[in-house]
Amino acid sequence: MKGLRFLLSRAAQGLIVMFGVSALVFFALFLTGDPAVLMMAPDSTAAEIDAFREAMGFDDPIIVQYGRFLVDALQGDLGSSLRYSRPAMDLLTERLGATALLALSALLWSSLLGFLLGAIAAVRKNSPIDFAIRVISLLGQAVPVFWLALMLIILFSLNLRWLPSSGYGSLSHLVMPSVALGAYYLSAITRLVRSSLIETLGENYVRTARAKGLTEWRIVVRHALRNAMIPVVTLQGMYLASLMGGALVTEIIFAWPGIGRLAVEAIQNRDFPVVQAVVLFAALVFVVANFLVDVAYTWLNPRIRL
Amino acid sequence: MKNISAFALGLALAFPATATFAQDDTLVIGRSASTNALDPGFLREAATIVDNIFDTMVMRDEDMKLVPGLATGWTAVDDTTWEFTLREGVTFHNGEPFDAEAVKFSLDRVLNPDNKAPTISYIRTISSVEVVDPMTVRIVTAKPDPLLPTRMSRYPAYIVPPKYIAEHGREHFANNPVGTGAYTFVDFVPDERVTLEANPDYWRGQPDIKTVIWRPIPDATARITSLITGEVGLIEDVPVDLVPLLQQTPDADLVQVENGGLTIYLGLRMDKAPLDNVKVRQALNHAIDRVSITENLLGGLATPKGTQVGAADFGYLDVPVPEFDPELSKQLLAEAGFEDGFEITLQSSFRYMKNAEVAQTIAQGFEDIGLDVNQETMEWSVYTQTVPFEGPIYMLGWGSTQTLDADAAIYAIMKSGEPYSGARIDALDALLDQSRSTVDPEARAAILQEIQEVAAEQVPLVTLYQEDKLMGKAPNVNFDGRADARIPVFSITMD
Repeated sequence: MKGLRFLLSRAAQGLIVMFGVSALVFFALFLTGDPAVLMMAPDSTAAEIDAFREAMGFDDPIIVQYGRFLVDALQGDLGSSLRYSRPAMDLLTERLGATALLALSALLWSSLLGFLLGAIAAVRKNSPIDFAIRVISLLGQAVPVFWLALMLIILFSLNLRWLPSSGYGSLSHLVMPSVALGAYYLSAITRLVRSSLIETLGENYVRTARAKGLTEWRIVVRHALRNAMIPVVTLQGMYLASLMGGALVTEIIFAWPGIGRLAVEAIQNRDFPVVQAVVLFAALVFVVANFLVDVAYTWLNPRIRL
Repeated sequence: MKNISAFALGLALAFPATATFAQDDTLVIGRSASTNALDPGFLREAATIVDNIFDTMVMRDEDMKLVPGLATGWTAVDDTTWEFTLREGVTFHNGEPFDAEAVKFSLDRVLNPDNKAPTISYIRTISSVEVVDPMTVRIVTAKPDPLLPTRMSRYPAYIVPPKYIAEHGREHFANNPVGTGAYTFVDFVPDERVTLEANPDYWRGQPDIKTVIWRPIPDATARITSLITGEVGLIEDVPVDLVPLLQQTPDADLVQVENGGLTIYLGLRMDKAPLDNVKVRQALNHAIDRVSITENLLGGLATPKGTQVGAADFGYLDVPVPEFDPELSKQLLAEAGFEDGFEITLQSSFRYMKNAEVAQTIAQGFEDIGLDVNQETMEWSVYTQTVPFEGPIYMLGWGSTQTLDADAAIYAIMKSGEPYSGARIDALDALLDQSRSTVDPEARAAILQEIQEVAAEQVPLVTLYQEDKLMGKAPNVNFDGRADARIPVFSITMD
């Protein structure tokens, strides 16, 4: 029951966060300028701009606009895109698949490889192989994604001609964006698995297991890894959440039709409803992911069931 | 790295690239911007794609001359009435006939204030459209409008099918467009592609290229790579820095449309000191080494200019490029009472060729004549909200590629009170007003040229240079680019 109360309080906190985010995205955008001026043709007259502003409802008191926004948002209506003349929600859901595919594939390969490398590095602590893995993972986190992406394009598309340079539609299109995006997470996960596992391997119950004569790998896989996973699961939850909000740079460079690209274009064009939809969605994913991480905690470690 | 490349290799072998590598009769075109919607009356972007689906009554040939399109001829009945004779036997892709009612419908829906068309300003001189008979239409303007035939050659004057739109609604139409043009619509996947197919019944004949796929590829390196690898056959927007990449490879050619781009200038806020002083403005005009900027910084991909009007525009006057003469500038400043210079802000963005570098060079030139320059560089969406309100000096690009008439190149940025103008010069305002109410072409050309003379003397803004338009193409694609920046696939062939 304590666990349930814990989860309920977490859910309530999530609701408050969502409310705060909705207020923030709404007011912050309006502080940046007049959308009507930007949306109209450059040689429009002031009267034409006024008419457009009125049609879009930009001339109502801002608190009225916020109220309207909140009521509609609760019903799943985030307004119509100013540029596409289509519901912002539709634009978002259309791109959800592409973003999810990229996010999950990047996180999947980087997690699998990260666990493997991290475990090897932890078991062979301070050996040359540990050193090599640490250097690689340091590089992976230090290299900016746009640079890595361009290097991949130049190597695999321009020089070797193995992979299409950009676009969407087949597995070969997915390879480079997924590699570019996952490189950072590979490094982060490797490092975290290594340090977390080294800590766990020093615990008393591990020493007991060793005393029982179990092999080192059996100890790692059966006993230590599960406990070492707690911080890693947190990290993955947060990574997945941030990736679902769109991988801005990766999606732009590889012309990937995902949420990140939608967000960047909407910001550039002051497409308010779309920007709001993307930010709200990203916040929602974050809150939900956070909640799921809490659920996973209680399952992985009963001590957290306060 | 070995891990990654092995992984990539494995996948590449398992799933051979299915990218549409250019086939004989398919042209893939890579663009920097995504398309939002395809209704030609309500565009918030360049008309590049819809231009291939729809036709206008008046068209432009390769030399930018106005030629008959869906209208076979037009005459001015009086100062404010134009009569267009329409082409017989043309049908929309859905079989609907093209007639005078379609023309009236197409223009009326943009002019109707209830529809809030973002493009209304381009045809707002029209007061009514009258159907005389099924093949004759009269357009009445509120005041004499010499540019009306030109306005009928560009968006939003594309002719759309009235019955189809009435039946399906505007939103459906924007995503499933039907026109009279050389290509019919196949599919539109936002941020991914727009596919068009040759219209076998096109009134100008069958297009050579059977399928056109427009792909948005926002990153310039990825766009150029896709051209070199053959994934696309034509690309828009080649940044200056990447030009050498295209020049070195045998797999792609640079398409350089000389003077096909915008004319870059420094806008000046003239409503307060010190830019209200003509000698100060002249001093700025002579403190910039335009030749060095275009040669050294822009690699010869732009041409120094003395007027905002393009050489191909109606009403062009060959104004000499202002000389780079810092001594003269210092003298002019002294005459204006600013021997010790003054502090001033120069704003710019990242929009144009090497924008930030050019702005820095100009700022340096201004410092050399004794000014204290604060440079502000802003992201474009912020910048457009700022100009021309802050300044007092702001760098912008302006063009007349859509009308090829001096009016488009100067009116909006030189007339007092226009949203993008910082200028306040009475003599210019009077001439600009006069140019808009004069129908006789010769008289109008004379006024437009006089405006450029006055501007050269009064410096309502500092004209810098005109950019070339840079595109890239595969060696087997025959396309030289056009001064009006369109890509009419109908006129492109492939070997």
